[in-house]
Amino acid sequence: MKDASVEVAGYTTLPVQLPATPTFPKPATHYLYIRPHEPRIPDPDSTRSLFLVNVPIDTTEAHIRHLFGTQLSAGRVERVQFEDVPTKKRTAAADTDTNSNKKKRKRVTADDYQTYLDDINLPSTWNRKLQKSGAHAIVIFADKPSMETSLKAATEAAKRGTTLVWGEDLPADRIPALGLQRYVAHERLQYPDRGALLRSVNEFMTTFAAVAEARKREESKRLAEPDEDGFITVSHGPKLNSVAREDEMKELVERQKKKAEGLEDFYRFQSREKRKERQNALLRRFDEDKKKLHELKARRGKIRPE
Amino acid sequence: MSAHTVKRRKLSSSPENAASSSHANSSTDAKRTSPKVTDKTDQPKRQATRGKDERSAELAMASGFYKSSFFKLQMDELLTGLRPNYTKQVSKLQETLHQIKTTIENIPEKAAQSVTDAEKELRASGVLIPWPEPRPNKDVKYTMSYAKPANINVVGSFALKTGARTLESRPVDLALTMPSSLFQDKDYVNFRYFHKRAYYIASVAAGIQETVAALGFDVKFAPQDGDSLRPLLLLEPRQAESAQKSIRILLAIDPTLFPIMRTLPMKSNIRQGSSANSSEPGEPTSFYNASLRSDATVSLYHKSLYSASKKCDSFSDACILGRTWLQQRGFHAPFQNGGFGGFEWTALLSLLFEAGGPSGQPVLLPSYSCYQIFKATIQFLAGRDLTTPLFFGQEVLVPSGVPVIFDGRRGLNILYKMTPWSYATLRHEAATTLKMLNESREDNFDKVFILKVDEPALRFDRLISFPKSFNGDTLRALQEQTALWQVLSRALGDRVKLVSLTSHSIDSWPVKSKPNKRSSQGVSVGLLLNAENVGRIVDHGPPAEEKEESASFRSFWGEKSELRRFRDGSILESLVWSDQSEESIIYQILEYILQRHFKITTEDFGFMGDEYDQQLKKSGDDILAYSSPAFQSINDAFKDLERYIRDMEEVPLTVRHLAPASPLLRYTALRPNGAADIVLQFESSSRWPDDFAAIQMTKVAFLLKIGDSLESSGAASSCHVGLENESSKVVNNAYLDIPHTSGVLFRLRIHHDREQILLERNLKDRTLSPREREEAAYALFAYKKSFVQTPRLTQALRSLCTRFPLLSPTIRLTKQWFNSHLFNAQISEELIELLTIRTFTQPNPWECPSSVMTGFLRTLHSLSRWDWQQEPFVVDLGGELSPEVTENIRTRFTAWRNIDPAMNSLALFVASDVDPEGVTWTQYEMPSKVVAARMSSLAKAAVNLLRTQPHDMEVSDLFDTSLAPYDFVIHLRPKLFGDRSSVAKFKNLAEPRSGMMATVKSFVRDVQACYSQSILLFHGDERCAVIAGIWNPQTLKPRNWHLKTAFSTAPAVDSNTQVLINQPAILNEIARLGHGLIENIEIHGTAEE
Repeated sequence: MKDASVEVAGYTTLPVQLPATPTFPKPATHYLYIRPHEPRIPDPDSTRSLFLVNVPIDTTEAHIRHLFGTQLSAGRVERVQFEDVPTKKRTAAADTDTNSNKKKRKRVTADDYQTYLDDINLPSTWNRKLQKSGAHAIVIFADKPSMETSLKAATEAAKRGTTLVWGEDLPADRIPALGLQRYVAHERLQYPDRGALLRSVNEFMTTFAAVAEARKREESKRLAEPDEDGFITVSHGPKLNSVAREDEMKELVERQKKKAEGLEDFYRFQSREKRKERQNALLRRFDEDKKKLHELKARRGKIRPE
Repeated sequence: MSAHTVKRRKLSSSPENAASSSHANSSTDAKRTSPKVTDKTDQPKRQATRGKDERSAELAMASGFYKSSFFKLQMDELLTGLRPNYTKQVSKLQETLHQIKTTIENIPEKAAQSVTDAEKELRASGVLIPWPEPRPNKDVKYTMSYAKPANINVVGSFALKTGARTLESRPVDLALTMPSSLFQDKDYVNFRYFHKRAYYIASVAAGIQETVAALGFDVKFAPQDGDSLRPLLLLEPRQAESAQKSIRILLAIDPTLFPIMRTLPMKSNIRQGSSANSSEPGEPTSFYNASLRSDATVSLYHKSLYSASKKCDSFSDACILGRTWLQQRGFHAPFQNGGFGGFEWTALLSLLFEAGGPSGQPVLLPSYSCYQIFKATIQFLAGRDLTTPLFFGQEVLVPSGVPVIFDGRRGLNILYKMTPWSYATLRHEAATTLKMLNESREDNFDKVFILKVDEPALRFDRLISFPKSFNGDTLRALQEQTALWQVLSRALGDRVKLVSLTSHSIDSWPVKSKPNKRSSQGVSVGLLLNAENVGRIVDHGPPAEEKEESASFRSFWGEKSELRRFRDGSILESLVWSDQSEESIIYQILEYILQRHFKITTEDFGFMGDEYDQQLKKSGDDILAYSSPAFQSINDAFKDLERYIRDMEEVPLTVRHLAPASPLLRYTALRPNGAADIVLQFESSSRWPDDFAAIQMTKVAFLLKIGDSLESSGAASSCHVGLENESSKVVNNAYLDIPHTSGVLFRLRIHHDREQILLERNLKDRTLSPREREEAAYALFAYKKSFVQTPRLTQALRSLCTRFPLLSPTIRLTKQWFNSHLFNAQISEELIELLTIRTFTQPNPWECPSSVMTGFLRTLHSLSRWDWQQEPFVVDLGGELSPEVTENIRTRFTAWRNIDPAMNSLALFVASDVDPEGVTWTQYEMPSKVVAARMSSLAKAAVNLLRTQPHDMEVSDLFDTSLAPYDFVIHLRPKLFGDRSSVAKFKNLAEPRSGMMATVKSFVRDVQACYSQSILLFHGDERCAVIAGIWNPQTLKPRNWHLKTAFSTAPAVDSNTQVLINQPAILNEIARLGHGLIENIEIHGTAEE
């Protein structure tokens, strides 16, 4: 039976004991599913990474480090990438066109500013984030051997049925506590102090202005340069105001409509057609009503007083 | 009256229309009403083959002579279902009726004998004579005899084919005309006729009992139309499920036996002073007279109704419509149930074909369609005040205060069984129905014919029941109930709009025993309140100098009446009631006046309606009205803050609008605590950035500035900028908490209308990933909700709550209902508000509620009837719900059901004229379909409780929820909620831990977010100490391992591909997440492995 539970769908299943609490004293075993990370488009990190599925909702990077480093005494974890965090870290992958909605130019300066800008956030209101139940994470080890030993250690532990208690002996000061304390902290963090807020806002706005400035500069530079065929593209300046133009168009259409108003009955054929249309609409409505009644009967049965 | 004429004219069709209508009518009638054609399979075929021309004709008819074509179609269906198949019934019954007839004809004649002998003789054959009260003395001079009936006829709706097939089977009426030879000239006085009649019917019973027993019937006596003077014989099929109809044997006399002169309404025919239960000698005995006269008119009416039905093709259909309408409103022939039933309706129609209009012209024309007849009759009932008598033929003296339609030729007031209260109720219903028929917004078909309108708790604002008094034999009950009605009406005065009494007539009883008196005991009274006057503390009587009136006032009120001098110098008799007492003023009045006039103590009558107000006070911080100081102080604080915000100088943009956007600011918060949301909009400026993150940052900068400004101007002590929705940069990220100096906390958000345009652009942008577009869609939804619709709803409700004083308490009680059934996490407050508003702005088929009880119960009733999978819920919020808007809403609804047929994102669709999109409060599984279904079933259970226990229902039962259906229940630590008893003691400390309660909310939200696929959580409001949960049933089966399985699993035993939900691990995680909040987790039944 133990053998059977070691592997599911190609994943090593590692049972982890969840610590019991006074409010729910029943012991519970949680199962982690582990396998080497093999993304469809491999990146330089994937060979030294493990793919973990079904991490507990309270998982932190510290938990994972502790699990592989201390509890399984195997590989050293470099970092952990959780499912819900968007992969914005463009350390090496700046060239790949990730799904950022900002317009990209092949000029380094503006993008640099942009990257910097994306990292300026309002202060977080949680001291510890939660994972969704059943979520997955990518664990990137220091090197390929540490990954391999870790996987092996996990398989061993699973086979031998070693009891691993989730987050056991993890120094309490390393991670913020769950429960009431976490919510109390949240209520405090919801209202960051004025100075911190002002700092984020100012920093953001300055950088934002710098991005705009750099973009404008690059744009005009690009416009002045002939392309490979020796042409200079003529354009009507930056298309920043597309919304304004949409509005303008709408207004134009509106005005056109107004002009045509009152002229609908100008020709006799117009009024004749209209009459016909009205008649047809009535007939159509009548047919629709019949259909409606039919559906009503199908749903509620016969029409009869309650 | 003049309005009546105008309407009538609109109805009466122009000559060419009339011609075409009669043509169309006869053609369709020929097709559907001739008794033979009832095979339904025939009809669709015919419709299919019909050409376009014919369809146009049908349409033209439907739209011209009916309310709307859909209305007509539904009505046709209804009529088809209700038209009895007479041919079939006649063939089935003929043999039986024939046998009964022969048996009756063969009953031997009996010579005259004394009362004692007659009783003895019949007792021998096992029949007890059903004497009316008072029974004849042993020594009366007149004698009893029996002779063969002069005539035996089938009469009534069966013979006339005007009956309706309803759930209760309509009996067949067989009328026996007693030979005139049995009676003497003076038999109309002192019950002599009725005594002889009782002997006659008993003799018939004795004579036929063997035969009918053999035919499979039970023989019983029953009062005809609830009138104990006129017992009839009821032959009931012994097997309830047998297809036999019951047969009623009625007695009649020759119309000329007693002169009409003798039975006119103002004649006095009971002259013996000795009997206690009859009127004083000399008093007119109009009911007695009419009762006698109606026996004499059986054949006359039969003939006249028959000729009317021959004259007009749609007569019988109009009768079916009328019967249905009356039945849904609880009107039946017995005086105890209104005194207006099928016969009265039919007779009224036949008379209205002759005259009845303002200058004597007919109200109805034979060319009318059945709908036109129905509507014109309703219009007649609503418009013509019949307490000013209407005479057909000669005018005679009639009693005042009761409705009179005196049919001079037959000498009968056809409304003689109607009382002042039943007539007021009938007119009330007719007026409401007329309004519905004239409404162009909705077709209202359901509300006119389908809906049962007579449920007392839905119909009336307060109910009084007297289980032991005011009923008995007919004459006495009528007299006593009139006395009760007079006292109640006078005592309650203009606090009520209507006082309506209903009771039971005696049930039928076997011929060998006495009638069961208990079956008729008791009377129920329904009150319609006048919300404006109901809470008045001081009643002004007549001035002291008007001696006669003040004496009458004093004799009515007794020592309660006191002379008072008022500020304007007048000295009036007056009554003072207490508004501090636990009991409502209505109850105080009843308690006093019933004791004074009827010696009825509080134990002897039941009162219903106040409990709903008390329930609201209990859970709603003792607040009842929207005008209470608690709500007004929040309003005042808002006005003050608005002034400060408009005057801010440090902020570079000018303020366009500061909008309230919170239940606290629209009088609908159950308890006035917490932060009140407000929305600030600046004049538009081109200096705002076009980037979402930058917009959020700019908002933060503005909020900081506003906070500084308000602090320095002294409007608020320390303001704080708070953060929300941190996972998204496109949804609003920041707000400002403003503790106003009055102690009210406001939460301000900035509305920037450019966000909408940017989001809409993102939504259309094909270069963005689906996930980003989804986020934009969500952000747009959130934007519209918090910055557009919430302020609009708030605005609308602020005016509605002042227009309908009971709207605010009703909404708050309904919120408590949703709270107590743990719907808070799934159903938004705004949704509840909309569901309740409809009860007030579209109150059909009732009038707008005047009490918390009717408002609340009708809201539950409308919820219980809402087929939300198939229908949108449409609310009239701003009074602009035109048919076009409704059409638009329906189109949107259909579109939603096409996009999301499984209702994964949207279950309920609730739209209003202000918000035709209909998804603002319900999209993104607010609630999910599981929760919506639970809401429906709870509402149905509540309405069912109401139907089954109308008088002894405990209101608190409606608010008790069972935790049994849940898979697990998380009990929160009681410490978090403080001690309830101390809460009651110190009002200012009522919610000392409101911060704590925000914690519980955050916790619920966290858990729901983590386990969105596997768990559904139910939680109430801040006083609710449990969180209940159910497992998603789809997760409970083992399934193949998949990366996208979004819940914690464990490998299934003996399988290396399948996994199973890991419930203990999930509960363990929840327990650790809620450490310090949770007391324990209780697991029910099968949830455990």
